[in-house]
Amino acid sequence: MSEMAIRRGAAPALTVERLSYAYPHASSSALADISLEVAPGEFALLAGRSASGKSTLLKAACGLVPHFHGGEIEGEVRVADLDAIAAGPGELAAAVGYVAQDPETQVVSTTVAAEIELPLEMRGDEPADRARAVEEVALALAIPHLLDRTVDTLSGGELQRVALAAALVTRPRLILLDEPTSQLDPVAGDELIWLLRRLNEEWGVAVLLAEHRLERCLAAADRVVAMDGGRISFDGAASAFLTWARDADPALETPAARLFSLVGIDPLPTGVREARQTLRGMGIAHPPNRASRRVSDPHPSDPAREFVFRSKGLWVELDRGEEMRDVLKGIDLTINRGERVALMGRNGAGKSTLLRTAAGMHEPVAGKVDVDSIALLTQNPGDYLVRERVGDELPGEEGAVALRVVGLEAKADADPRDLSGGERQRLALAIALAGRMEGETLPGVVALDEPTRGMDRARKADLVALISRLAEVSSLSPTGGNNSTGAAVVVATHDVEFAAEFAERVVLLGDGVVIADGPSADVLSGGWYFATEVARVLDLPGVVTPENGAAALAGEERQ
Amino acid sequence: MKSPFAYQPRPLPLQMASPTAAVAYLGAIVAIAFLYSNPLVLLAAGAAVVTAGLLAGARRAVRVALKMGAALALLIVAVNALVVSRGETVLARLGDWPLLGKVDITLEAIVAGASGGLRAAVAMIAAAVYSACVDPDRVLRVLRPLAGRSALTATLVSRLVPVTAADAGRLRDAARLRGPGAAEVGKAPLARRLLAGSLDRAVDVAATLELRGYSLDAPRARNRRSRSRYDRRFYAVSALVLSAAVVGKAMGADDFQAYPAVEIGFGPETVGVAAVVSVSGFAPLRGRVSSLFGIAEQKRHPEAARV
Repeated sequence: MSEMAIRRGAAPALTVERLSYAYPHASSSALADISLEVAPGEFALLAGRSASGKSTLLKAACGLVPHFHGGEIEGEVRVADLDAIAAGPGELAAAVGYVAQDPETQVVSTTVAAEIELPLEMRGDEPADRARAVEEVALALAIPHLLDRTVDTLSGGELQRVALAAALVTRPRLILLDEPTSQLDPVAGDELIWLLRRLNEEWGVAVLLAEHRLERCLAAADRVVAMDGGRISFDGAASAFLTWARDADPALETPAARLFSLVGIDPLPTGVREARQTLRGMGIAHPPNRASRRVSDPHPSDPAREFVFRSKGLWVELDRGEEMRDVLKGIDLTINRGERVALMGRNGAGKSTLLRTAAGMHEPVAGKVDVDSIALLTQNPGDYLVRERVGDELPGEEGAVALRVVGLEAKADADPRDLSGGERQRLALAIALAGRMEGETLPGVVALDEPTRGMDRARKADLVALISRLAEVSSLSPTGGNNSTGAAVVVATHDVEFAAEFAERVVLLGDGVVIADGPSADVLSGGWYFATEVARVLDLPGVVTPENGAAALAGEERQ
Repeated sequence: MKSPFAYQPRPLPLQMASPTAAVAYLGAIVAIAFLYSNPLVLLAAGAAVVTAGLLAGARRAVRVALKMGAALALLIVAVNALVVSRGETVLARLGDWPLLGKVDITLEAIVAGASGGLRAAVAMIAAAVYSACVDPDRVLRVLRPLAGRSALTATLVSRLVPVTAADAGRLRDAARLRGPGAAEVGKAPLARRLLAGSLDRAVDVAATLELRGYSLDAPRARNRRSRSRYDRRFYAVSALVLSAAVVGKAMGADDFQAYPAVEIGFGPETVGVAAVVSVSGFAPLRGRVSSLFGIAEQKRHPEAARV
């Protein structure tokens, strides 16, 4: 097919026929008999639990599977009429762009401009053509101010946009994205989805997007493809997907759809706007209730509880590569034993810095921080795993206790690299807690930094249960345990739905200062970006989860 | 905090030079360190590479590499002193040791070890200066014709050091955060994990490079900044010091013997080679090298010179 015909969109953007694939040395197939077609200019969403085959399908569509990963492959993959299995990622580069989950592994250049220019240079484009293409894609993604920056000075959200720009600069017909919002704050995540929709509409780029947080992108999608165990379990419109998920796999339901399911309202909404329209049509509509909503006051300390973290006028300055920058600017915060606290805010607001300062990894330049003792799990659990056997990481009786607490006692002989993402995270938490599971040794604060990246809802529910246990019991040892108060659990997270599930209190940081601090139901229903989907649909103070939303609607109907 | 070995763009000669010129320059100094055993020349090579790093603004990289190089040099001295019992000047008799047998610590073995340690330290500091001052983006482009079909090779050459340095920082942090009941993080498991993790990450970066079309057989694109006015200076300095070193070696400038008794030559050939090598460290000086001696100022402002 001629290039002109391809440009006009005559061929499907992606055709997959009877595709099966197994990674090298794997005992089972990652993809089994997949057939799929993505039309030019279509926005398709890939849904499914962890390890369902979403990432592998995306890698097959861009040629990384099997060219980079090896393994056994059968079937056919065509991208813009090119045979992806025969061509490989290099030759497909002009037709398909790929953005992976971790933006740090997607940059290969030192500066932003060089990173975006690289694919054009590899193609042999002239400098003037390259300069124009870089400028245009930078304008489209609102990043021209970043072009001269070095990539190591960018935030996660900025880095993700740069990776997207590098994938789009060759004007591919198809863009593949693997959980691109997993490291982004709610603001940057929403911006990225709507940016993709705009590029999809204005440039005609077909989008295939794998995502766990479906509530973020379902409204933007033309179609949803759900995967389970390497097979396609559903393929259809977004509204039909929600009906299917309610019956077949409730873990894939969005919060708004779950709210409607609980109340018995049909059709299930694909987004906030549709949900509000349906409710309005039923006569259940709330005017914006801002007058009755109070701005959260600083969280009052509970004198009955012992404080385990207290900062007073805390300032922390960090080297950001080109200059020193104040990251925390006079933080006053008290956290008591047994509290479950979500630490939220935009990328770069200072959440990780606050946790690291509490753990003694940064020295304050002013003010003071007083911490009882802290067990901190940083953003990369893999950094805690240095040995080739789980039992060697946690030897002796204390190690065995730690493994029992996180439910990994049966995996003592496994290689940590063979564990799933959730298991690796639990193992890292066990390593951080080992030897301080009881009484006096129990840390005052257990802190987790972005623990839900790449997690599906079932794994998040397991984590919520573990957090509750950490906060509620003063002995984690299976032989001990009582109902007295445990550690304060502080979780830095961008995931508002997860925060609504586990936290009793939310501390919102903005550019190094505390801008809101209060009960989670108040904070997560009092805004637009840092609010749950149910809160945005109902706009009722204190209503953040599908369950309490359903209760509120039931009360409304009774009135 | 940014790794001291991470490349930092600066408007300085070594950073602005093409990667081949920078590699030729730093490589020449390292080559001399491996060509010579005479401690005076080795010290001159060390001084040259430290001066070059400081003039190129890589102060942190030089400081950290000096510490690491000193530790490595001491280790080599200690191992050589324990393993080699040759030499006339016995400083200590330590008796029979398991595996090693009779251990005599001799001055000669210590001096021979110091010579080897100095050589390793020079190579380590040069590698640190390269990592901090040579733009990996430009290295990647230079490598494309040489390793066009292997993004992984290109990634390993251009990215392994910064990726490893960043991973090392994170692993050290995680090691500090382990509970008292967890196994201690020994140096060997940490080193193994660091190497394996860095290679994994290099593979991820190589995959991205493939996706950007690195292995395409496209015509080589013209670049806006392919050469620098400093290239000739670095090529000339590397040719000069290498020539001086080779000629000096032929004339006996590498006059050094560790066994049976230490003999270190300080003849005019040795001093001359050492002087040339140490002065080569000023090549990354900003502006004209001649400005170091005031010549450029006189040419530019002859009336000021007359006054």
